[in-house]
Amino acid sequence: MTDSLPSASSPEVETTLVYAHGLAALVTLLISVCFGFFAAVELLAPQIAGTSPWFTWGRLRYDHTQGIMLGWLGNAFFAFLYHAIPVLTGRRVTSPKLGQWIFGIWNFAIVLPGWILVLAGYSQPLEWAEFPLVIDAFVVLALVLAIIQFLPPFFSSHLEDLYVSSWYIIGGLVFTLLAYPMGNFVPELVPGARGAAFSGLWIHDAVGLFVTPLALAITYFVIPAATRKPIYSHFLSMLGFWLLFFLYPLNGTHHYVFSVIPMSAQIGAIIASTLLGVDVIIVVANLFLSLRGTGWFPRDPALRFVGTGTMFYLIVSIQGSVQAQMSVNQSVHFTDWVVGHSHMAMLGFASFAALGGIVHVWQRIPWARYNHDLIDLGYWALLLGVIMMVGDLTIAGLVEAGQWKSAAPWIESVRAAKPYWIVRMLTFVPIGGGFLFVMAGLFAGNTREEAG
Amino acid sequence: MNRVLRMSYLVAGLGGVGFFVMSILLLGVWPGRALDNQVGRTQPAHPPALTASEQRGRAIYGRDGCAYCHTQQIRYLENDVKRFGKATLAWETIFDYPQLWGTRRIGPDLSREAGVRSRDWQFSHLYAPQTLVADSVMPAFSWMFDGAPNQPRQEARDLLDYLDTLGRDRSLAAPEGETHARDNCDCSNDDLRFAFGPGPLNASPAMARRSGIVPALSHGDAARGLVVYKQNCASCHGAKGEGDGKGAVGLDPKPINFTEQEYSTNRLAFALWNGVAGTAMPAWRDLDLADLASVAEVVRAIHSPQPEPVIPQEILELGAQVYSQRCTQCHGKDGAGDGPAAGQFPIAPTNFRTQRPAAAASLRALRNGIEGTPMASWTPELSEAELSAVAYYVRTFWSGQ
Repeated sequence: MTDSLPSASSPEVETTLVYAHGLAALVTLLISVCFGFFAAVELLAPQIAGTSPWFTWGRLRYDHTQGIMLGWLGNAFFAFLYHAIPVLTGRRVTSPKLGQWIFGIWNFAIVLPGWILVLAGYSQPLEWAEFPLVIDAFVVLALVLAIIQFLPPFFSSHLEDLYVSSWYIIGGLVFTLLAYPMGNFVPELVPGARGAAFSGLWIHDAVGLFVTPLALAITYFVIPAATRKPIYSHFLSMLGFWLLFFLYPLNGTHHYVFSVIPMSAQIGAIIASTLLGVDVIIVVANLFLSLRGTGWFPRDPALRFVGTGTMFYLIVSIQGSVQAQMSVNQSVHFTDWVVGHSHMAMLGFASFAALGGIVHVWQRIPWARYNHDLIDLGYWALLLGVIMMVGDLTIAGLVEAGQWKSAAPWIESVRAAKPYWIVRMLTFVPIGGGFLFVMAGLFAGNTREEAG
Repeated sequence: MNRVLRMSYLVAGLGGVGFFVMSILLLGVWPGRALDNQVGRTQPAHPPALTASEQRGRAIYGRDGCAYCHTQQIRYLENDVKRFGKATLAWETIFDYPQLWGTRRIGPDLSREAGVRSRDWQFSHLYAPQTLVADSVMPAFSWMFDGAPNQPRQEARDLLDYLDTLGRDRSLAAPEGETHARDNCDCSNDDLRFAFGPGPLNASPAMARRSGIVPALSHGDAARGLVVYKQNCASCHGAKGEGDGKGAVGLDPKPINFTEQEYSTNRLAFALWNGVAGTAMPAWRDLDLADLASVAEVVRAIHSPQPEPVIPQEILELGAQVYSQRCTQCHGKDGAGDGPAAGQFPIAPTNFRTQRPAAAASLRALRNGIEGTPMASWTPELSEAELSAVAYYVRTFWSGQ
């Protein structure tokens, strides 16, 4: 085991695949953000979708989250893995040819047809599992191929040097493959409350076993690589890792507190949710201690993105522990508070980490264009956007909760939410703009070769 | 060393998979067994499953993201139970492949939607929600119609059939089903309180009912009443109360034209509190009483009193004679809407003691009938003189109370 990245001498990185997945990630990101934006607009102007079924709110909503999870984060993680695996193991990934297949399947058999099928009315009404079953089959296939592609280098040698990012990569890929069918297939076979128990598990596993481990793998990777200092404590890294994989799957039922699901399962999940907050404090403390000396806003945008993502990870996890508590959950559950929470997780934490990862690997592709100033601008716009959106939705959630507790007619809670929905819609400007700036920063400017 | 390391990684890997399997066992399989067991003990005999149409409707409900704004899960919490009705029991969800509990509640929970709204209301609302609920943010599903809210295509009819199943089985099984479930549920105190408490099974404040105690309305505030009218009533009854709001198009019977009907305050209070069963007029038990009183004043003020014409005695006698032969079966001897046949119709006959139609409206109803109601046209049966005599005669029942 090791506490720093191996300083492998020029491992062979499949830069084309890094670039291709990076590009796909950013393109699907912009499309997914637009789905979200249009959904936000439709809440304020419901007639704007016209008389076509293709762009009704529900379908846009499905495509928004599936696009963010699979299109944007999926591709971003793959881009990072093609860079990280050779660096971490000193070996090439299994096969560039296989890489082309994974790229093709992921984007042209999963994300693109998934989006279109949802808009055409073929989907399943399960959170984080909205793409139809036929797409799910391709996701499982792609995850198997990804495991074949990325994991063998870890096991062919240097096992004693397994760095914490490697643990997260192995854990993330393996457990996503295990959890995905549970969330996507089981509720179709097991009805009602019983199925909901599995849906609850998957809602949390999608974030906890896919998004979080790979985002943390990026964070643990970029920090030492950019600061050229080892991680603060390998012991804390491993403690955090194991607690995470122990606790995350046990959180699921907190999505259905006060339901008919047995109270002991609910309470168990609430206890696990509380402990998870403690675990995240360990993980984040280790990361922040590793960032010592870089200041609050490091000059390297990759480092700044992962550092800020880590901050959001801390906040969103503690928020999660708090909102799992029955006294809080009974008020904020079902409100915009939770929508704010998931944006802090997927945008503030995961997307910042993924952007850090992409910027980091971009810096290391000799022929990739790179413009520091544009990326900088993107960072600040995104930071503003996340804070605006999460703050706004959190307050909206509290307002809705207050309305629901009162005797006011239901529609009053909708009226009360509208001003907040306007602000949420406007956050499209900093968020969409921020992503555009980052994207421009990765496709404009000089290449490293040109800069010399 | 390497061997030891490999072994320890193997153990760690197995341990990790063990965690995951444990999570599924603890939070998926075990609760599932407990739920299964509970369903077996509490469900009524043979709860009706979904018909083909209802299943198609369910697929549409899932496909179009309805569950992402409307939950189908009444939580074991006082606020949920107060707003929507008794908490959702496990056996109520046994036909939900996949579950549609939802995690966000932008619109109201729909667990007990069956029977809350009339079919014409639901169609009109699906077709163009804002024409009925002015501030709604629901998308329009107009492509499920042939260009008008009263021309639903199969998709819209299927979806509505599905909505009519929400909460149906439990309400069909009551009251014996409730007793059976309560006695066998092995319930905690919270379960007893929220799933089997004293409140109504369906607490929707909009569900219309034929009878029920109405709280007395005090004096309202006209300015406030106008706001309430504009927010809640104008969509169907029209900004000026002429029954021509945007939502009126697809409704059957049409919303009342308030300019030609005079109501007693008690009659308005009843209609506001209990709705008008059998029509699209929902109940408004969620508005506070001061608002109801205010809006009742606004409605009363829309009717402009005309000087009453003096009707010759012989015409009234003719009217009385025809009325006693033709109208008493439904409208009752004294015009109170309580004839022996009244209870057989989904819509209660007009009570002329508390509602006085203008002579023109009364005559029109007699000539043409009232579409969407049991009131038929009397044109072929009665002479012109008889029609107008009855039209005047029914206005004499008015008590104003």
